[in-house]
Amino acid sequence: MDIHSYEKIWLVLAVLLIAGFVSTVTYGATAVGVQMIDDDGGTIDANALDEDPRFGNPRVEQVGENHYAAYVVAQQFIFRPDPITVPANSTVTFYVTSPDVIHGFEVVGTNANTMVVPGQVSKLTVTVEEPREYGILCNEYCGNGHHTMEGKLIVQPEDEYAQGGSTDG
Amino acid sequence: MSDEQPATEIGHEEFDPNGTLALILIYFAILVVMWVFMYFVEFLGNELTVIG
Amino acid sequence: MAEALDAGAPSFRDRFPDEAAVVRAALLSSFIALTLGAVFGIIQGLHRTNVLRVLDSQFYYTILTAHGVLMVVSFTIFFLVGLFTWATVRSLERPLEDIRYTWAWYGLMVVGTLMAVVAILGGFVPSVDISADVLFTFYAPLQAHPLFYGGLAIFVIGTWLAGADWFWSWYNWKQAHPDERIPLQAFMVLTTMLMWYIATIGIAIAVVGFLLPWSLGLIEQVNPLLTRTLFWFWGHPVVYFWLMPAYLLWYTVLPSLAGGRLFSDPLARVVFVLFLLLSTPVGIHHQYVDPGIAEGFKMIAMTNTMFLLLPSLLTAFTVVASMEHGARQRGGTGLFGWLRALPWRDPAFTGMTLAGLMFAAGGFSGMINAGMNINYLIHNTLWVPGHFHLTVGTAVALTFMAATYWLWPRLTNRQLYSRPIALGQVVLWFVGMALMSNAMHVMGLFGVPRRTAEPQYQGFDFVASFGSITELRIQLALGATLLFVSTLLFAANIALSSWTPTVSGHGHRLPDPLSGPGDSPVVLDNLKLWFGIGMVLVVLAYTLPLASIVQDSGLFGRGIDAYPAMIETPVLLEGSPLSLAEPLASKVSAMLSGVIS
Repeated sequence: MDIHSYEKIWLVLAVLLIAGFVSTVTYGATAVGVQMIDDDGGTIDANALDEDPRFGNPRVEQVGENHYAAYVVAQQFIFRPDPITVPANSTVTFYVTSPDVIHGFEVVGTNANTMVVPGQVSKLTVTVEEPREYGILCNEYCGNGHHTMEGKLIVQPEDEYAQGGSTDG
Repeated sequence: MSDEQPATEIGHEEFDPNGTLALILIYFAILVVMWVFMYFVEFLGNELTVIG
Repeated sequence: MAEALDAGAPSFRDRFPDEAAVVRAALLSSFIALTLGAVFGIIQGLHRTNVLRVLDSQFYYTILTAHGVLMVVSFTIFFLVGLFTWATVRSLERPLEDIRYTWAWYGLMVVGTLMAVVAILGGFVPSVDISADVLFTFYAPLQAHPLFYGGLAIFVIGTWLAGADWFWSWYNWKQAHPDERIPLQAFMVLTTMLMWYIATIGIAIAVVGFLLPWSLGLIEQVNPLLTRTLFWFWGHPVVYFWLMPAYLLWYTVLPSLAGGRLFSDPLARVVFVLFLLLSTPVGIHHQYVDPGIAEGFKMIAMTNTMFLLLPSLLTAFTVVASMEHGARQRGGTGLFGWLRALPWRDPAFTGMTLAGLMFAAGGFSGMINAGMNINYLIHNTLWVPGHFHLTVGTAVALTFMAATYWLWPRLTNRQLYSRPIALGQVVLWFVGMALMSNAMHVMGLFGVPRRTAEPQYQGFDFVASFGSITELRIQLALGATLLFVSTLLFAANIALSSWTPTVSGHGHRLPDPLSGPGDSPVVLDNLKLWFGIGMVLVVLAYTLPLASIVQDSGLFGRGIDAYPAMIETPVLLEGSPLSLAEPLASKVSAMLSGVIS
């Protein structure tokens, strides 16, 4: 097949570009350790969240030495608990699910961003550092109150957290 | 519209798309720079990256 | 080659009057959808930026559903069927096999569209039980009225029958031309349709197998992750259903507008074969942050998606080289100076070129979207609409509008009403889109969400690391306004072209490529082979993820109720014309309920 030499050059560059993109993402997945939301969170009966020990009482609790679990319910049109309070300089694993429709869970201005699907549990682990407040919003249309659906993630100074304890919804 | 006769006719053998090569190399350079910026500065430089 | 530019040749309408009528009808349907969709678009653009709100925010989602469906289902696909009819008939140089069959599938598409549009517009009249406030993606458990799902199904069936029509033409042409290569435009039509047949498997199962019976009450529950995955099985390749007609125009018409010839027919064929193979086994890249799908499947989708960049990158080279050929034949010189020799006064040329230029930018944001983990940064933010307004919204839409300026006289034997307005229109689109899409991309990086009526929250503010959110909102609203004006200019120009003087001899034979089909291996024309490989790749990409979803959460989900998406408490603004629609709509609704139940 007759391909002009310039186009052959471009073909090689295009393949290199593609390889470069795949390598970058692989680097992120391996060296940096970025993990995708996947099926680790398991499934759940969306109509029976109240009976689930995690989501029946949405809350933050300590599960390891410096590791906290946040059990979050996203529903029309709130997040529970609100606010989600965690101590600074810790590792937090969010477990998020929905009893009604598909929502999004986005910690604004960060990379913590997941779909929330009824029947599935989204699990994501992040490290929080200095004390500060983040907004949370729903970024998947979930009904006519979708634009009012917001929450808060408060990273408290460690001593304040130890005194006040965790908040539940 | 553009139904006029071309000023000259250039056949397959004589035509080397030099301008195209130049433009596409510039595009390639922009893509590489933008990708590196987006991935390493905007993404990895952002907070709360999901590591588990 | 000289006779290629012979003025005085019979036009498409002269040679194929019956076919021209169908093409005109399809294109007119397309333009009506575009114009109505644009009205909704400007309302959205002004509403979400808080520049001007004329309706309660609940109705934003009705408007958004209408805008999405009208633009990316009706406008694009009606244009495709018109364009492909033209391209098949003219490249095979034979009339359609049975014009009644052709009108029949076109009619089905119209019926399907009307059903879906009625269901969507019903959302403006809360007292009526018909609505489809589910957005273009209609994710369960949000539920629309059965008219919506039924309408979409009928529309898609119409497109299947359209494809069969063109295969029928090709089959008969082949009997008469047994050893010839498939003419390039026909080849592009057929490969696109084969891709579509593969792609629509997912949406057909989702709609006909699950969502339609569910909305009729025949099944109680659906599995939202399953139907969402089946949606995206189709949801990615549909963008190539939008793009491939634009590529057909860039490859086969744009070179001659530039005064040149297509740089390479073989490469054009390779590109279309690559789309047939790779468009569908990538859909999971829309679900990178979905629970319930293993990371390995997402990685496979990513690798396939990255390879899918290749046909578009090749297209960039081939199309620009073809334009350079034209420019140099017109006397252009220099490494970049030849650009000035191009026919920038021609709205068809300029529109398509600006569309291609914008696609280069849209391609980049698409590359970011394809990156599995960087998706966390932009998923469901305003970055995503920023991206697709560059691609479907410009590369496709602007190319379609620009091509219409060239094609319409050949279909009607009438002059275009105004070339200067047409030129202004395409430039205005480019400028408006540059402003709007840039604002969307940047706001997305700051976390501003998409699909949200009022992205202004109580508990926090968006933080702009450069510029300000207020400036960006104004920029978005301004861009949207320019786009709306541009759409009106397009619609008016075409409408007014119904009364311009008739011109004869507007035919224009498209010149032969520099490197013809004879330079490529015959295997490229082996459509069965490529279709087969395409199916295998889809089976490999989707069997395990789908099986895993069904195994983990069941074919019909666990404990999932339906959530009819409609506005419960009517909140109409004072003096709104919608309040007049209510009594009429109640009557229509009663009639339809009587018909359906």
